[in-house]
Order: sequence, then structure tokens, then C-alpha cells
Amino acid sequence: MSTPEPRWDDPLLEDNASSALFKEAVTLASRVASSEARNRAAWLLQLRGENLHCVTASEPGGTQARGPYRVPDHPSLDQAVTSGQVVEGPSEFLIPVQMEGRVAGLLVVGEPDGLDVAARGSLMTIANIVGFAVGQAASVSDLQREAERSRRLERVKSEFLNIAAHELRSPLGIIRGYSSMLSEGMLPEAERGVALSRIADKAEEMARLISEMLETARLETDGLELELEPVDLLQVVHDAVNALGPMLGADHRFVLAVPPESIGMVVDRRRLTTMLTNLLDNAVKYSPYGGEIEIGCEHDDRLATIRVRDHGIGINAEQSHLLFTRFGRLVTPETSHIRGTGLGLYLAREIARVHGGDILVSATPGGGSTFAVELPLV
Amino acid sequence: MEDDVKVLLIEDDVAAAEMYRLRLVADGYSVVIGRDGQEGLRMAADETPDFIYLDLRLPGLDGFEVLERLRAGAATRHIPVIILTNYGEPELRERGMKLGALEFLVKADTTPAQLSESVERATSPRAQPST
Repeated sequence: MSTPEPRWDDPLLEDNASSALFKEAVTLASRVASSEARNRAAWLLQLRGENLHCVTASEPGGTQARGPYRVPDHPSLDQAVTSGQVVEGPSEFLIPVQMEGRVAGLLVVGEPDGLDVAARGSLMTIANIVGFAVGQAASVSDLQREAERSRRLERVKSEFLNIAAHELRSPLGIIRGYSSMLSEGMLPEAERGVALSRIADKAEEMARLISEMLETARLETDGLELELEPVDLLQVVHDAVNALGPMLGADHRFVLAVPPESIGMVVDRRRLTTMLTNLLDNAVKYSPYGGEIEIGCEHDDRLATIRVRDHGIGINAEQSHLLFTRFGRLVTPETSHIRGTGLGLYLAREIARVHGGDILVSATPGGGSTFAVELPLV
Repeated sequence: MEDDVKVLLIEDDVAAAEMYRLRLVADGYSVVIGRDGQEGLRMAADETPDFIYLDLRLPGLDGFEVLERLRAGAATRHIPVIILTNYGEPELRERGMKLGALEFLVKADTTPAQLSESVERATSPRAQPST
């Protein structure tokens, strides 16, 4: 894990004791360095990338006047930052501020000539204290960020549980309803077959939802362990189409455009089928007025591509960044009633990625969406 | 007398709507189905149903908005409404009851037979509100 960059400009630092401490440190440094004969200004610079930015200065308005400086353009600054040693430049005395063993900035005092040894020692102590404070503040701020992140995740998880419960209740209601009517014997002969196939479809839907949730939980903890086997990719396409085909209403139709020859790959067949089933299910859900869902497949020496194209409501550009995030359902007035856990696309892309591929999307609001799965052949 | 009772189901889930319709028709009610909030409101005004089942998650207007408008309309104000949803959260239940729903039923916990009984309860002369 990389050490986080010092964030002196973090609101947490600006608004709390740290910024007061910086101010006091430069005031003290200026006082230590000054004598009756000469006033010396002090200022504190923060290293951000290869630039030094002034955090605070002892003289009024000094913060604006000092920098920013591009370190490589100033030999003495460069030397102090690179070596981590005190440098006496032509017009400044530069003391590195170290945070966790590296230079995070500089405490600078003007007009170094005539600065006595005791004053120099005190200035170095001040720089050390500032470095320590910056390190402490950064770790407090990291902890606060982490706490906020886990609070947010907790909130999202409990929202997800509500959504999941709701999604499971929909098919469960149908299963219970039809099975109660069957056991009461109140369904006419002609309706019984329909009832049984509805029950089977809804049980299948529940099984898919449950495995989607389990796969997501597994991804969180151990990552996906693939069961690789040689597979014809077209077989995967047919598996997914066959899994969802029976559940299509009269308004939707799958249209396949696949090459005649097989596309041999070594993949996790079950996972890839899940991925494609999720994409097809998504295409159906977001084409509320029906239409064709085109499934295309092509390949060259390097890459196989599966395209799922619908003519549905498309994707709202402002929300498209949520598309593949966990639990990230795009909720607009047009989509708020559409069922879904917000896991399908997330899982689909993770599956593509563990196979070394990815899913790309192109869409326009109202103009349908195309999801392209790219999988490397070697 | 049940022949005279017309039930409006405002429900976008086709499978659920068909299932409930089957049971209600078998029990002698006549059933019309509104597929979204707008259609439901229109049918509530045009079809003068005796009773309404209302889903909450609907395309366009959600169930609460529909209920508010039903209560605001002179022609629909007195039609008894039962919310039939898969949301079980107490705050939603409370909101629905405050808006004047007669009952709040969770679909997964309500068999079609129980559903049919709830119409009977709500439309039998004794259960009619006295006002």
C-alpha cells in the first residue's frame, strides 16, 4: 500500500487545530529568527507533486506572495526537497518538513546571513514539530475518511437488503399465489399448465437473484475463482438465450447474428453464461415498450466480441457512471419502477474482467443501448 | 350481489395482475386492470370501480401519488383502496394508511384467496363507512 500524499489543503486540516498550529509555527519561526537589528519573515511551503505551495506566512499577505514554485526550477529548493537536508540558499534558509520519513514541505526563513546557531537549531525543532503534526493530522483524517466510507457502505448495504427483499418477494408472491390456487383446486384445467410454468419461471428468477447476491458476496471476500474449461463461445450465447427465452413476453424478441464457425476459448462457462444472461435481462428490462434485442458475436485473432443491443430507453448521461457500480441502479422517473437489485451489470463486468476482458457501453437517452463484451482469445 | 362489484387493479406486473384477476373473477367480481399510475387514475374515474387495489412501485406516478389524487378527486374520493405491494417497510405502511388506504397488504404474504376476502370485507354493506 502506498503512503497517502500529505493533504495540507484538506478541509480537515484547514479548519481544525492544524492550521492554527501552522500559523503559530511560522510566527514563532519568524520571532526566533528575528533580532533587534533585523526582522526575518518565515513561511511554510507544502510539496504537492513537483510544486511547493505556501500554506501560511508570518507577514500579512505573505501567503499569496510566496509561490507556488516549481521545484526543479529553483536549485536551492530542489536540493532541500531532494536531500531532505537543511539548505542555505542565496536569500533563504530552508528546513525540510519531514512527514513519515519523507519531505512533505519546507519551513523557510528569509535573509539567512547572520542567523546564529541557536536560532537555526530552534528553527529545525519547529520544522520537526510541524512535520509530526502534519503526519498526525493526516492519519486522523485518513481514519475519518475510512469511518465515513464504512458508514456509507453500511447504509448502501442496508438499502440493498431492502431492495433484495423486495426483489425476492415479487416472484415469491406469484409462486405462493399460484400454488395456493392449485392446492385449493380452484383453477380450471386450462389454467393449470400456465400456473405451473409461471411457478417454474418465478422459481428460476429467485434462483438467479440468490446466486447473483452470493456471487457478489463472494467477489467481496475471496474474488471469483474460475472453473475454466474449453468452450465454444457460441454455446455460451445459446445457453444464455435459452435460459431467458422462455421468460420473454410477447413484446420482446431475441435476434441472433453469430458466425457459422465456433469460437473456441478457455473460460468459466457458467460465469460467462451468467454475465450474458444479466446483459440480456437488462436489455429486456430497459426496453419497456418491447422490441428486438440483437445479440451479435464476432472475433479476430485476438479478441472475441459479444454485442447486446436493445432499442429501449437508453442511458441517462448524468448517471452513466453508476452503471457498473455495485448496487448502482440508475433511478430516474422512467426507471424507478423497474425491478432490479443493482448487481447484474456490476457482476457482469467483474466476470468479463476476471477473464481478462471488459464490457463497453454506448447509449443515448431514448435511443437504446449497446453493451459490448470483449474477451481476449489468447 | 358480488356480480355487481367491480374491482380495479392498478398493477404493472403482468404476471401478478393476471393471477389476481383469475381469482377475483372466479369469486364473481368483475376486474379491470390499470398498468400504470396514469392509466389507473383514468380508469378509477371512467370505470367507477367499487374497489381499488393499488401497487406502490408503478411507472410514472407511484402508488402514493395515485392515492393522493384519488383522494382529491370528487368522483374517486370514496372508493376504498387497499395497497398491495412488496414493500413491507413500516414507514411506507404508515404513509399509506395516513393517505387513507383501508389496508396495506404485502403481496408475498397474501394469497389470492385472502385478497379476495379483503374485497368482500371492504365491500360488504356492514363494512361500508358510515359517513
